[in-house]
Amino acid sequence: MPENTQTKSIKKVCVIGAGTMGAGIAAQVANAGIPVLLLDILPKDGDNRNAVAEGAVAKMLKTEPAPFMSKRAAKLVETGNIEDHLGKVAECDWVVEAIIERLDIKQSLYEKLEAVRTPGTAVSSNTSTIPLAQLTDGRSDAFKRDFLITHFFNPPRYMRLIEIVAGPQSDAGTVGMVRDFVDRQLGKSVVDAEDSPGFIANRVGTFWIQQAVNSAFDLGVTVEEADEIGGRPMGVPKTGLFGLIDLIGIDLMPHLMKSLTSTLPADDWYQKIARSEKLIEDMIATGYTGRKGKGGFYTMEKGADGSRTKMAKDLKSGEYRPAARPGIVHGSAARGDLGKLIETKGKVGAYAWAVLGPTLSYAASIVPEATKTVVGVDDAMKLGYNWKMGPFEMIDVIGAAKLVEKLKASEYPVPPLLEQVGDKSFYRIENGKRQYFGTDGEYHDVVRPEGVLLLEDIKLASEPLLKNGSAALWDVGDGVVALEFTGKMNALDEQVMKLIQQAIPLVKSDYKALVVYNEGSNFSAGANLGLALFALNIAAWSEVEKSVAGGQAAYKALKYAPFPVVAAPFGLALGGGCEVCLNSDAIQAHAETYIGLVETGVGIIPGWGGCSELIDRWQKNPRHPKGPMPAVSKAFEIISTATVAKSAAEAKEHGFLRHTDQVTMNRDRLLYDAKQRALAMVDGYTPPEKPEFRLPGPAGAAALKLAVESFRSRGIATPHDEVVAEQLAYVLTGGNTDPMETVTEDRMLKLEQEAFMKLARHPHTVARIEHMLETGKPLRN
Amino acid sequence: MTDVVIAGYVRSPFTLAYKGALAKTRPDDLAANTIRGLIEKTGVKAEDIEDIVMGCAFPEGEQGFNIGRLVALLADLPLSVGGITMNRFCGSSMSSIHYAAGQIAMGAGEVFIAAGVEGMSRVPMTGFNPMPNPELAKKSAAYLGMGDTAENVAKKYGISREEQEAFAVKSQEKAAAAIAKNAFADEIVPYTLPDGTVVDSDGTPRPGTTAEDLAGLKLAFDQNGTVTAGTSSPLTDGAVAVLVCSADYAAKNGLTVMAKIKSMAISGCAPEIMGIGPVGASQKALERAGLTIDDMDVIELNEAFSSQSIATIRDLGADESKINLDGGAIAIGHPLGATGARIVGKAAALLQREGGKYSLSTQCIGGGQGIATILEKA
Repeated sequence: MPENTQTKSIKKVCVIGAGTMGAGIAAQVANAGIPVLLLDILPKDGDNRNAVAEGAVAKMLKTEPAPFMSKRAAKLVETGNIEDHLGKVAECDWVVEAIIERLDIKQSLYEKLEAVRTPGTAVSSNTSTIPLAQLTDGRSDAFKRDFLITHFFNPPRYMRLIEIVAGPQSDAGTVGMVRDFVDRQLGKSVVDAEDSPGFIANRVGTFWIQQAVNSAFDLGVTVEEADEIGGRPMGVPKTGLFGLIDLIGIDLMPHLMKSLTSTLPADDWYQKIARSEKLIEDMIATGYTGRKGKGGFYTMEKGADGSRTKMAKDLKSGEYRPAARPGIVHGSAARGDLGKLIETKGKVGAYAWAVLGPTLSYAASIVPEATKTVVGVDDAMKLGYNWKMGPFEMIDVIGAAKLVEKLKASEYPVPPLLEQVGDKSFYRIENGKRQYFGTDGEYHDVVRPEGVLLLEDIKLASEPLLKNGSAALWDVGDGVVALEFTGKMNALDEQVMKLIQQAIPLVKSDYKALVVYNEGSNFSAGANLGLALFALNIAAWSEVEKSVAGGQAAYKALKYAPFPVVAAPFGLALGGGCEVCLNSDAIQAHAETYIGLVETGVGIIPGWGGCSELIDRWQKNPRHPKGPMPAVSKAFEIISTATVAKSAAEAKEHGFLRHTDQVTMNRDRLLYDAKQRALAMVDGYTPPEKPEFRLPGPAGAAALKLAVESFRSRGIATPHDEVVAEQLAYVLTGGNTDPMETVTEDRMLKLEQEAFMKLARHPHTVARIEHMLETGKPLRN
Repeated sequence: MTDVVIAGYVRSPFTLAYKGALAKTRPDDLAANTIRGLIEKTGVKAEDIEDIVMGCAFPEGEQGFNIGRLVALLADLPLSVGGITMNRFCGSSMSSIHYAAGQIAMGAGEVFIAAGVEGMSRVPMTGFNPMPNPELAKKSAAYLGMGDTAENVAKKYGISREEQEAFAVKSQEKAAAAIAKNAFADEIVPYTLPDGTVVDSDGTPRPGTTAEDLAGLKLAFDQNGTVTAGTSSPLTDGAVAVLVCSADYAAKNGLTVMAKIKSMAISGCAPEIMGIGPVGASQKALERAGLTIDDMDVIELNEAFSSQSIATIRDLGADESKINLDGGAIAIGHPLGATGARIVGKAAALLQREGGKYSLSTQCIGGGQGIATILEKA
């Protein structure tokens, strides 16, 4: 690539092609707060020349999971058509082409683009199959300098991977500009790919899917068995393979196959395994295309009594039959011991090996052709296919030497890289740093981009400052510590509170600030319900009361600690996980944060300060009406309906985040950003003043009661909802206060505690907790 | 005693709350524009106006302070013109007319603008700070939601969902026919938005609504009930203004007299069935006028809900063919504080258009009241 010749930033983007991918990319640009022009062709009929792009935006507003993070984001998308509005490309700094995968049509669009774009405007294709060299054939050198491939995954908001392919003539500055934008603004993790067919993730992924389907047919394994063997034990999403195909659409399979067989060389291994099954062809032809169609390998059948039964496709007969739970994978093989899994006797081992052996071998064969390092392949599969481990990490679990031996025994190809690594591993830890095995036979440090700080890396090089069974405290550098939840699902319990209380004097004397952060699947789904249920079942009321008081004390100690506290939520931040954020000085949230006070779902109310914190936020919202009721009504509405924000942007609308709180788009940058936010507050830091409340008292409670009664008659609220809502209303309205009196925060905490205990003793609350633990779903009693 | 007459009636376009064209318009601006429209249309001398009597059901926020006076100032009326806010919930602006009539009868003024406004997009139906008296809430249905009262009336009077829907369809049909004939052009004062868009027609009616459409709607208030959004009046933004003056003043100043106020009445009822409020109030007003329901040629009955409209019609023994000739609130909308003046002004206009001698305008009021006005064609 030529030297970096420019430094500029992307302030406006144009996406051409308003199909699922193009529209989704445009939505994600808008989610980042960047204006975006979305163009498509003229509609076949009708007067509205922008109908195609407009229709795409309208459809996205109804799609679940939502492509937009907020309604406000949708307003940043300007729609148009390529006949009338291509000239507007001149205002854009980056043009993403996401039109049909036809070389001639793409080339003709580029020719038009070349005439209207401003030189220096980046142009990229979202192609998943066409080589870059062919795309830019016939274009000027200037165009080639600004051209690259940016391959997003579907859906663009939720899939973290982007593969970037730069050509030999691509300008490093232009590529750098796009790279930086998709990383920081769109939150994608960039994997550099070479200009080879299918790039990385789809090449390995398609091979894997094909091999897994073939093997199920060949070995007479049922879809449920295949998914049990090939799902969790291999670290593949719990849907398993057939569940995954149902999700992405069975009709996509022939397309993936065709695109790869037509572009891969004839001697590529994939060409040998590519085949279609009559049963699958028939399913597609009759509309059984998966979840979006009439059904897939799985389907839910409704009985006459309204009951629902999960059905599975019999691969032999083609008929649906009730889905089985095979229960055939046991012991460590079920928990990620891949060596054990492939050595298991019978069909479990046979199927696991038939899928894993060729897939891992194939993955090892595409380095450096598809990407220069093993890290690229692993990242691509983890980020693009949601694998828990990348192929090379899996190989390390099995042992490369053992794998080679087994591949040879099965007469599968053994790629040079596997021979080369010998009895070593693809990753190792050296001096507290993670290193990977390069194609030069040497180990190299895994280098993180600037602004990426991961606890995972810190853990390799240090010991925790404090640690117990549910939490740990880490030094993350520059005088900042990170409080990590470590329990199952990051559940919160007395141990977490104890560690918080221990951390405060330590940070006060030796450090400057604290961030609440972890790298689990979710920030925290809240208090440990199992423990709570146990205490309730043995009527250990004083224990329950103690845990409420202990949580309140720990969270308030954090809030009023003499140093800045920044919470960095991501994924689910529910109940107590939400309350720790509400009690922090500031929140640095990942864009994909799903935060909420969901306690009412299990028949209780927020007990660790959530009630008063939410009122405080709404009372201080300058755009919310004043007086004793509006903030209370809002908090009541949000808590009583267990509202969970579907993004950080929505969390601001609900008041879980203040308008001064900030959002990080890229998950890997969250800790770094939170740390910077905390450090920025260190100078002259003073703890917040205790809020005081003017609340409506019984008159407000009477108003809320009327509202709940109407929800009851409308059939929205259940009998126990009404009981819970009454207690919640009592707390939020300040108990027996009068609007002329001031309610302190301590009094609010006391009210929370009293109401919590009343509800905790209620048998219907216990039933709700039990049901949640058993089924993961709320009981509507 | 001096005769009191209606000498002009206008209104703003009625648009759906939150999503309609006027959702972003301040109610005081909308009311001021409507009042200017009334002065222009009638040619009344602004300096003669004694008072702006402004009905409003939730007079707070942008329709708070004393919106009557503020609207007089906004409309650039002479400083001598007064302003008062009148609240009787849905009966507010009919009370504005009653108040003006009483003042005129007392000799406490000759010309009044009786008006009403409700920006339901901008001030919620309970106000921003609903704080009911907990003791009263326990012993009475004073604070019961309006939808629940509609369900109570439907149950008590045995009015089926189908009957309610047939009534709603008819209201939509009558409004659609009126729109097709451009029958509202005369009464609507267009409003120009800051971006230059002129709003000059109602956004509320749903022409083409069929019984099948309505049958598919979800129950809005009670899962075991019969009332849906389709058989309820929609939340609406709108303003209304009616010129009320003495017959002498109208004659002296060459104003077009539409009708004379014959009688007026208020009557309380049980809050939980507030929808039958019009029955008692109408009977009182008829008695005071020495007339019977059969003497009425035009009836404007506010359609808060189909159920209470049907119950009222039955109890009064009213002839349905005389009711809401251009459609009612189910189609046209119900900006709470503005509706009362609309149905009196509309009745006066209909007497002019349709002929006939007497009209009855009546409506139910949350908390358990009814209000009624009988006009005699000029």
